[in-house]
Amino acid sequence: MSTSTLKYSAETSNALLKEVMDRSGQNLMSCYQCRRCAAGCPVGDESGVTPDRLVRMVLLGEKDNALNNLLIWKCLACYTCGTRCPNNIQTARINETLKQMAKEAHIEPNIPRVASFHSSFVKSISHFGRSNELEFMALYEIENYKKGGLTAVKEDIKSTSKLGRSMLKKKRMHFKLDRTKGKSEIKSLFKKAADKRGAKGQP
Amino acid sequence: MKIAYYPGCSLHASSKLYDIQAKSVLGKIGIELSEIEDWNCCGATSASKTDDFLAIALAARNLGIADATGLSEMMIPCSSCYSRTLVSQKALAGDPALRSEINAELAKKVEGKIKISNILEVLLARKKELTDNAVKKLTGLKPACYYGCLLTRFPSDMPITDSVENPVAMEGLLKSMGAEPLDWGYKTDCCGASASVNDADMALKLMSKILKDALARGANCFVTTCPMCQLNLDAYQDEVREKYGIAKSLPVYFITELLGVSMGMGVEQMQIDRHFTDALGLLRELKLI
Ligand code: SF4
Ligand code: SF4
Repeated sequence: MSTSTLKYSAETSNALLKEVMDRSGQNLMSCYQCRRCAAGCPVGDESGVTPDRLVRMVLLGEKDNALNNLLIWKCLACYTCGTRCPNNIQTARINETLKQMAKEAHIEPNIPRVASFHSSFVKSISHFGRSNELEFMALYEIENYKKGGLTAVKEDIKSTSKLGRSMLKKKRMHFKLDRTKGKSEIKSLFKKAADKRGAKGQP
Repeated sequence: MKIAYYPGCSLHASSKLYDIQAKSVLGKIGIELSEIEDWNCCGATSASKTDDFLAIALAARNLGIADATGLSEMMIPCSSCYSRTLVSQKALAGDPALRSEINAELAKKVEGKIKISNILEVLLARKKELTDNAVKKLTGLKPACYYGCLLTRFPSDMPITDSVENPVAMEGLLKSMGAEPLDWGYKTDCCGASASVNDADMALKLMSKILKDALARGANCFVTTCPMCQLNLDAYQDEVREKYGIAKSLPVYFITELLGVSMGMGVEQMQIDRHFTDALGLLRELKLI
């Protein structure tokens, strides 16, 4: 068995901890590593990082690892960890913060498709105020193409086209564009969001 | 009696059948669902993963519209929309500065008056009217009631009417209709609906656990209230079974279609033919349709 020494610098760790606590609204310092969150997390095993480990990374100031791991991208926002945590720490919120911080630091998402999926969904709302499956999937594949080229798109289309065909058969595909008339309000909310990010130096 | 109604994107599109069922079943007991005007998407999981302000603000616009109706209660059937809207209402109640900032952009301002209910709360409060209107007992139906994540778990403290880890509202409702809901272990586990497109293997794995447990307990169907969970467990079930070598399939019903069936509504009215995994066979076998 190999051993490693803990590298810890109070200065770097405090800066990271403070930012994550402020932005996520979670008190990471109250974590006592009981691992109830880990026991309930449906993606912890596959991610190689459980919520308790992630909290620990942030506490120790391991910024690179905290911004660059599978858990923050695989997290399903199922809120099991936070519901069970005796100290009320909601790791899903920490993951949301770390994903945003990773984007700001121009770190490639560990699972690019997850990032494309959520950003395309939000973009589709900015267009029509409502999410339209076809438009959303088109935006998603464009993002996918930009990030992973044709191979990524091909892989996706193979699986989604099967679903699409069944959706058609079962009359569960929707072709009419659903839209909100109060477009200017939606636009102004999106603009406000962008201004807020801008004011904090976030993309 | 009128209740404000927020259908959300999926009940207008891929889960239109759920919208139709909810209106039929509640209409039968004298509840009119009044869809709020010109609503927008709540932002779902995606907004909360990408932008903290939008995650509150998108749902806030709907809350303003709902408050302006003057109605006292709004029903939201989709768990994701329900969760986002409730979280937004609570966040705005606790942060007057954010509320005025958002209200400044809105034609209809958030007042925070309207009570947000999920569909189970609305149904359960009218259990007597529902059973009084039932004409068929759901005998032989052994559902695994599936609640998923967002009906009982929230990103911040939220007082809810059912148990967080072991909710029983659906079981109670179905029992009173003559069904025999089963005890099982995965009723609030995540089915991975938000990952089925972008992290498919993960989603399939989560669904396989849910399906295996329901089968092992002797369930003959799933029942759910969330359109995301319904679509996920229904549309991907073949793929899950193939990948994990599971022989049997289980229909995935919305709570409303079973209530409708017990109230004597037929396949056409309930649109039970719009499932991916056969949902008609079991009901025929049990002579319910
Ligand atoms: S459940 Fe809470 S206190 Fe326990 S390890 Fe997880 S985050 Fe820390
Ligand atoms: S919210 Fe994310 S981190 Fe927490 S248990 Fe669910 S998947 Fe795991």
